[in-house]
Amino acid sequence: MAKIVDSSHSMDKSITLPPDEIFRNLENAKRFAIDIGGSLTKLAYYSTVQHKVAKVRSFDHTAKETEGDPLYEISMQEEVSARLHFIKFENAYIETCLDFIKDHLVNTDTKVIKATGGGAHKFKDLIEKKLKLRVDKEDEMTCLIKGCNFVLRNITHEAFVYAKHADSEFRFQNTHPDIFPYLLINIGSGVSIFKVESEDTFERVGGSSIGGGTFWGLGALLTKTKKFDELLQLASKGQHTNVDMLVKDIYGGSYGSLGLTGDLIASSFGKSATPDKEFSKEDMAKSLLHMISNDIGQLACLYARLHNLTRVYFGGFFIRGHPVTMHTITYSINFFTKGEVQALFLRHEGYLGTIGAFLKGAEEDNPNQYSWGENYAGSSGLMSTSPDLNPMQRARSGTFDMLEMDRLERQLVNLPLLQDPSSYIPDTVDLSEDALAREYWLYCFEEALDGVVKRAVASQPDLPEAAERAEKFRHKYQHKLQTLRHQPL
Amino acid sequence: MAAESERVDRSSHSMDKSITLPPNEIFRNLENAKRFAIDIGGSLTKLAYYSTVQHKVAKVRSFDHTAKDTEDDPLYEISMQEEILARLHFIKFENAYIETCLDFIKDHLVNTDTKVIKATGGGAHKFKDLIEKKLKLRVDKEDEMTCLIKGCNFVLRNIPHEAFVYVKHADSEFRFQNTHPDIFPYLLINIGSGVSIIKVESEDTFERVGGSSIGGGTFWGLGALLTKTKRFDELLQLASKGQHTSVDMLVKDIYGGSYVSLGLTGDLIASSFGKSATADKEFSKEDMAKSLLHMISNDIGQLACLYARLHNLTRVYFGGFFIRGHPVTMHTITYSINFFTKGEVQALFLRHEGYLGTIGAFLKGAEEDNPNQYSWGENYAGSSGLMSTSPDLNPMQRARSGTFDMLEMDRLERQLVNLPLLQDPSSYIPDTVDLSEDALAREYWLYCFEEALDGVVKRAVASQPDLPEAAERAEKFRHKYLHKLQTLRHQPFAYGSLTVRSLLDTREHCLNEFNFPDPYSKIKQRENDMALKYFQKAVKSLEELSWEQRQFALVRGLLAGNVFDWGAKAVSDVLESDPEFGFEQAKRQLEERPWLIDNYDQWLERLNGPPHKCALFFVDNSGIDIILGVFPFVRELLCRGTEVVLASNSSPALNDVTNNELQILTERIAAMDPVIQSAVKEDRLTLVQSGSSSPCLDLSRLDKVLAGVVRERHTDLVIIEGMGRAIHTNYYALLSCESLKMAVIKNSWLADRLGGKLFSVVFKYEVPLDKKNTTLDHVPVTPS
Repeated sequence: MAKIVDSSHSMDKSITLPPDEIFRNLENAKRFAIDIGGSLTKLAYYSTVQHKVAKVRSFDHTAKETEGDPLYEISMQEEVSARLHFIKFENAYIETCLDFIKDHLVNTDTKVIKATGGGAHKFKDLIEKKLKLRVDKEDEMTCLIKGCNFVLRNITHEAFVYAKHADSEFRFQNTHPDIFPYLLINIGSGVSIFKVESEDTFERVGGSSIGGGTFWGLGALLTKTKKFDELLQLASKGQHTNVDMLVKDIYGGSYGSLGLTGDLIASSFGKSATPDKEFSKEDMAKSLLHMISNDIGQLACLYARLHNLTRVYFGGFFIRGHPVTMHTITYSINFFTKGEVQALFLRHEGYLGTIGAFLKGAEEDNPNQYSWGENYAGSSGLMSTSPDLNPMQRARSGTFDMLEMDRLERQLVNLPLLQDPSSYIPDTVDLSEDALAREYWLYCFEEALDGVVKRAVASQPDLPEAAERAEKFRHKYQHKLQTLRHQPL
Repeated sequence: MAAESERVDRSSHSMDKSITLPPNEIFRNLENAKRFAIDIGGSLTKLAYYSTVQHKVAKVRSFDHTAKDTEDDPLYEISMQEEILARLHFIKFENAYIETCLDFIKDHLVNTDTKVIKATGGGAHKFKDLIEKKLKLRVDKEDEMTCLIKGCNFVLRNIPHEAFVYVKHADSEFRFQNTHPDIFPYLLINIGSGVSIIKVESEDTFERVGGSSIGGGTFWGLGALLTKTKRFDELLQLASKGQHTSVDMLVKDIYGGSYVSLGLTGDLIASSFGKSATADKEFSKEDMAKSLLHMISNDIGQLACLYARLHNLTRVYFGGFFIRGHPVTMHTITYSINFFTKGEVQALFLRHEGYLGTIGAFLKGAEEDNPNQYSWGENYAGSSGLMSTSPDLNPMQRARSGTFDMLEMDRLERQLVNLPLLQDPSSYIPDTVDLSEDALAREYWLYCFEEALDGVVKRAVASQPDLPEAAERAEKFRHKYLHKLQTLRHQPFAYGSLTVRSLLDTREHCLNEFNFPDPYSKIKQRENDMALKYFQKAVKSLEELSWEQRQFALVRGLLAGNVFDWGAKAVSDVLESDPEFGFEQAKRQLEERPWLIDNYDQWLERLNGPPHKCALFFVDNSGIDIILGVFPFVRELLCRGTEVVLASNSSPALNDVTNNELQILTERIAAMDPVIQSAVKEDRLTLVQSGSSSPCLDLSRLDKVLAGVVRERHTDLVIIEGMGRAIHTNYYALLSCESLKMAVIKNSWLADRLGGKLFSVVFKYEVPLDKKNTTLDHVPVTPS
């Protein structure tokens, strides 16, 4: 993140997407919310989208009924639907973004922007000056929990388990119909552990000062590397056994009677007091990462046991999009709970604060009374996070990321006749876990695309630009298919 | 331990010279040593052995009175006998001395039965060959954790004031805990290189419920990387000078103040080392070390608290090299535990924590001797005591900790248990004044004991007129005891809480150490002899009184008799200058009613009620006290139909009557008095030993037989007599039955403290609350 701060002089140039593709539907935007973290800004707004819907209407059959008349009439109508926009970008772009928003904001009803996050007060004046909106601060934790509840309820496959060496890195969880109670471990500079029991009831049951800031701070002191991402990069290459004292270093093997295996870390950095030895940056970073991840994992497991909770979600900048930390946290949780508790991560974890702040501001619209659906066309989707696999795509993560959610007209619930709603999986085959099937179906959909485009154009014979729009559709869908080929998740 | 590596560097070439004590004062009683055990840690070696000590005991033996009974013959014969006592020796020294020590042991080890040495600790295998070569003993490795737990159980059970709470800014740094009669279950947090968290449920059941890799090794290792200081002690020293707030990110650094809705204060550490990534500045070694210490201590404290809550445990003991003798870490761990448990759990530390492993290894090897079937007592004469750990306060004494430290424990002849009549054994505190917390009182009593020392030495010499070297030994005793007093003046917590009792006991231990087992034996003999002659007369004059007059006369007699106490300086002065100071004179000297504490009316009213089932009487002095004070009183109880159990000391202390002596006295009195005779014959009058050899009384460490008798007889009255047993100790003790505490205050300072004057009388009759409303509703509440 520090890296991006360095590039602040050329921020405009590095915006990879044209702003109007990022800040969509700004014209009707209202109910702004902003969550400014240590390095990333997350903006939310509510907007309405005017779009065409096909309606069918029965003819009046009582009047005259001729044989040749069709059964019903088809018409195209304009409909307005509600959509939530969430955009994530680096703090470095904040001024440019505010300018763009100001220039495109038409709706004059909006007077207030809800703000949360540690950086909210730092940028308060800038926001008020640029947007002419009053900044209304919301409690960070309340926003975080509200946002978490919202995504867990509205986005299927929001939560996932991380499995480094599995065929598919991410294993998505079916959302339990009753999302409560759960434990949320937010690993920012420090660690906060929340027990969430209902929409409005949560408690900070614990915390720790050993968090992301400790990794970063101690890591910087030990390796002289001041950048968080670089520290993680170092850690992913190191050998912690050079620095840590293992059980076998003390006992020559495992300590059988206590059930301690030889490879268990007996003492983090236990070897580094040895005189006259230099340790590599990579090894120290790795040892530090293990120390911190294990400690957090252990605390999470103890709090989960104390409160009888089995669903434990992890978030915060220490986790966010970092496979290295997701892996060590997952490992630690597995170790301490012997698999009884799974470490769960969230696809939209970075948005929780801004979603929550937005919801606080939008309470009169009763957003929680509706069901919302992720709009796949307008959302960036989860990035593959393996640093080695997709360096190109990781680079993109530094720029802009979007999530769009459509308000569904009807509130959606379970079919009451499902035998076990929590284990119900609608899909028969999970293509993300079956490479052959995935290949086949992606090919299949690509093959069929020509036909779909043709049919789309044919469906609107009266509209001359239909062919052009159809081509845009082809392009976008093809891009999505290609993305999915590389990132099936 | 890094500090030790410094010493290793410095002293390894001249290690012999730096042994500050002559080796034969360290490795004592090696001649008969057997059952060796050794615990070799990263820097310190702890050696244990079992040995026997031959020492003199005074025995009394009744003459055969049937043969010839002349008037001038003494009542009984006193003889000095050699007795063999079992003693455990524990010695702690730096690994650097191990070879020198092994050589010394080999040269002095006579016992050839010993074939095996039990070994534990990480260094055991490293030194295995050396030990086997030097000592010709087979090294037999024992599991480290098992030894640790076994040792911990042993000290918790056998050493009163073993555990303490650390309070940095309090008047006394250490606050000792009364050992709970049931030591289980507890949590032991061993902070070595890493952390092990062990739940101990019984002597043989323990489980490692958790652990952490963030421990002492992490502090040392990360500290070394951050500060380039490779020594553990120096790192702690750095930490104690640093400011963690320049390195740590506090809640207020993020939110500008506290985060009220989450209950987080502004000064709370939000992120350890949270400032060190961003700030473009250098951090001082001190600040980084402090931040690191906080980070690790807090983490361990939090884990300890979570495991304690998960397992529903409130007693949490901390040990391991991270803790051992380091006030800095004891403070941060205590702080952390207080923070996380909001005071519900206290961090407890152990005086002999460093010895746990070797004690456990020793016990494993000594199982056939059944060490756990005996009670053991810390020998104050042979033990170094707890060092003051404040690095700044006593640098000289800290230096000493680097050399040799000793713990000696005597096997007590009797197994000791709680008095079953204690109202709440877990909250019972024998001592009335904790001198470690009361500087004025401490000063006074230390002075007092110093003043009395001349007299004690004189008496010790006089008690062994036939032994020419007695004077020399007595001087050695004087020297040792004076040194102990001086140590206690600077380290009042050396043997747990400092009390009048511990000062008296230390004196007894030192006297025994130099073979003065019973300096008062002759005086006691003479007094008993003299008093017996008046017994019948005294009983007769009592019988002439009306019932009510007699009750009062009995109490006055008991109190007057108790004035005869050679242990109290004021009295011994009078007695020595005026040997004619008699019983009648003592009665006249007594304070007139109302006494300082005066529940006599309630007692009399109680005597109007039904007799007690059984009275347990803790007696005090020989001579007039026991014979003319206690026996007539007991006789009256017996006549009322109350059974009486007389509890006296197992071994001598001052002029207190011992069980041995009391048996002879009882026989003689029975011969004169049919009431006593039939009571003895019918087992209505029973003699038991208290298990103690102290002028004071610890009701939580009493002979097991006594406890059994008390239970069998349904004892419903406990009488405690004398200043040592009823004032210095047990003044505030609450019993579950009626109790009577009687004493004459023969010390003007103490009298002053209690709001009275010299020879003020305490007559404290108490009835427990739950008994008051039932059978004894006519007995008014006792003022306290």
